[in-house]
Amino acid sequence: MTWWRRADWLTRSGLACLAVLVLVSVVGTVFGIGGDPDAMVGPRLAPPGVDYPLGTDELGRSMLPRLFEGIGTTLLLSTLAVLVTAVLATLLGVAAGYRGGWLGEVVLRLVEVLYSFPTIVLAILVAAVVGPGRTATMCSIVLITIPLMTRVVRAAAVTVSERDYVTSAVISGARWPRILVRHLLPSLSGTIAVQGTYALSVGILVEGGLSFLGFGVQPPQSSLGALIQQGSTYLLAAPWLVVAPGIVLVVAILAINVFGDGLRDGLEPREARSLV
Amino acid sequence: MRIPVVLCAAATAAVLVGCSAAPLDPTTATSDVPGYLAVADESVTAGGTLDLQMTVDNGAATGLDPQLADVATSWQLMSLVYETLVTVGPDFSIEPALAESWENPSPTEYVFHLREGVTFSNGRPMTADDVVGSLERLLAGEGVWKSQIGPVEKVSTVDEHTVSVTLSEPYAPLLAALANVPAAVLPMAEIEDGSLDVTAQMLGTGPYVVESHRQDVSWKFTRNDGYWAEDKPSADTVNVVIAGQEQARMAALQNGSADLVMLGNVDAPQLLNGARGTSVGTQATTDFYYLMLNSNAQGGKFDDPRVRQAINIALDRQAMADSALGGLGRPTGVTPAGLPGACDPARVPSAEADLDRAKQLLKEAGAENLTFGLAAYSTAPAPAVAQVIQQNLRRIGVEVTIEQLDEGSWSGKVYGEVPATFDAALSWFAGYADPGMVGKWWNPEQAGFNVGFMEPNPELNEAIDKAIATPEGPERETALQQLCDAVDTDAQMIPLVTRPALIGYRSDALSPTLYETEGYGNVFRGIADFRLLSK
Repeated sequence: MTWWRRADWLTRSGLACLAVLVLVSVVGTVFGIGGDPDAMVGPRLAPPGVDYPLGTDELGRSMLPRLFEGIGTTLLLSTLAVLVTAVLATLLGVAAGYRGGWLGEVVLRLVEVLYSFPTIVLAILVAAVVGPGRTATMCSIVLITIPLMTRVVRAAAVTVSERDYVTSAVISGARWPRILVRHLLPSLSGTIAVQGTYALSVGILVEGGLSFLGFGVQPPQSSLGALIQQGSTYLLAAPWLVVAPGIVLVVAILAINVFGDGLRDGLEPREARSLV
Repeated sequence: MRIPVVLCAAATAAVLVGCSAAPLDPTTATSDVPGYLAVADESVTAGGTLDLQMTVDNGAATGLDPQLADVATSWQLMSLVYETLVTVGPDFSIEPALAESWENPSPTEYVFHLREGVTFSNGRPMTADDVVGSLERLLAGEGVWKSQIGPVEKVSTVDEHTVSVTLSEPYAPLLAALANVPAAVLPMAEIEDGSLDVTAQMLGTGPYVVESHRQDVSWKFTRNDGYWAEDKPSADTVNVVIAGQEQARMAALQNGSADLVMLGNVDAPQLLNGARGTSVGTQATTDFYYLMLNSNAQGGKFDDPRVRQAINIALDRQAMADSALGGLGRPTGVTPAGLPGACDPARVPSAEADLDRAKQLLKEAGAENLTFGLAAYSTAPAPAVAQVIQQNLRRIGVEVTIEQLDEGSWSGKVYGEVPATFDAALSWFAGYADPGMVGKWWNPEQAGFNVGFMEPNPELNEAIDKAIATPEGPERETALQQLCDAVDTDAQMIPLVTRPALIGYRSDALSPTLYETEGYGNVFRGIADFRLLSK
């Protein structure tokens, strides 16, 4: 964590913003601040006020608890999907980079096929196959983020596998699982972490896009994309439906990207000596 | 530290500006003429091109044969080409159309006197043989509407312009059934000699002729110059664009590329307020939403009537009308609220029971922790109605998972398999012009489309037949209330709330004729009268 001590204020702000969003969502949801997000408690399309700090939607539901739920849904889905991506991309990237040969070719061709699909088209295709909902959202994020991360991890694995200490380990008779765990993965962890942050911001955007098109989370569950989709119809008549989730979405993506940049800058001096 | 300051300032400004805007006052169409939302201005010169936008194009699903058309969106388009013997007025009274007049010599006999000078768009005069052939074809065919025509024993030609219909028993809704597009008069000579494939081409006596059709994209209709009504239709050309997205239709209305659009959002009058030259008409239709509980659902979720009744009791129809439909809907029984003689939905058994009774029924049936999926199509306001249902059922411990689907996928899921595999689904029926008609769909042996998820109920079938056979009067009111009670107790298809129809139009470009109420989902009923102000 030496990079953290060197991190600038922007990186720290990004992480702080993310922490605040997670905290707000968890505290708001756990303590039921603002009430039940699905309960139709107030007048329809009431503007922000004392009773409903962020107003109410077209069914008379308070927007505050729906926003808490929406932040949690979006961050949770995106994070889970990116974790899956990280595991799969690491396995595929290392296999392709370290083992190479026909296995590497197959992996590269597969990710190129996935890469060739426009993002939202791929997401809609997934939603059509598995049905709209959380599963479709997660599968879409994984399929959209996996090609880039796999290629980057593969490139890094190729570089690391040519290092002297890896060669020494091979000569000394170490088996490939040991080389993988003891030598490759520690060197690749920084690359994976940086790519993970970028994948997270892409994941949030994909979730927003899918929910905006109606293929994401299903009502009454809210997510940032779903809230914006529902509110977009009322952009002029009830702008509060879009403003709050829109700002949160922008802040979340900005914070993740800023943090990711800081992470890359912090880890790069070490990587620059040896990795891509 | 400039960036965060600027960001914060921008965010704060956005919040303040955004949240300071209050809902706008609605812009709604009104008319001084009783029964009409708008009446076309006849002083405006006829002619021009009318641009319409609709939500779906059902041509591919059922073909272009009007006798097989089973959804209101098909009837809307087909009504431009095909006409019926009779039609309905703004007060649901039966009015002349291709039949100039009719007599009812006995409760089981109707004699129709056909309008003279009516021709099909190919120039051939319409005769009594076309009327007889059309009705016989309908009764012999597979279309769902044949069950609405009732116990017709014989249709015969009296002379070239007179047709007689004989029933085996009295049937009050006959005229209202003949007023819908599936009962339209077809060019039987051309159908029988094979020169017309009625499933692929449309040829009728109506005000317009199809010039081109691109499935799910557009229709183009041109004026039928031989139309029997003097100086009608007014517009020379009608272009219909299929635009599935509500926002796209609203945008087309706002930028003037559409003269009239169908809208689903119940807040459309508010949303379009401020858009210069637009107006929104809200028709209080007899159409109503209903909840299907699949008696064949996996795990026997709904094969116990007590479970269905518990769900029926827990549904808060007034909340649906207020929250999901913005106050534009009304709670209803199976006889559509708003029709003369309709039963009082507050008097059905489920309305008189409470949530404790619902929980008790679930307990007795061993279904306390019931969970099920609800398939709803994504066209507004159906998702909102589904969410109110979900909230209502939570009060008795029933968890509902909503599955939003486009209309095609929804239709495949609900009607595609026998026995059906869905748990529950939400849809709507047109309510027609007679309170007994829609009840026919509660008999799966007659309706056909619901055999996959509905078990026949002899007691309910008896109530349906009685309500339909009983002539107007106090006895019919009793029979209709008994029908409502039977449907409510059966609870395989549960009537919910009436469905408003919202029509947006350019008040600076179009002077339409729109009824205040509509029973067949046909917004284009007055299209031959529409006058274009600026084209």
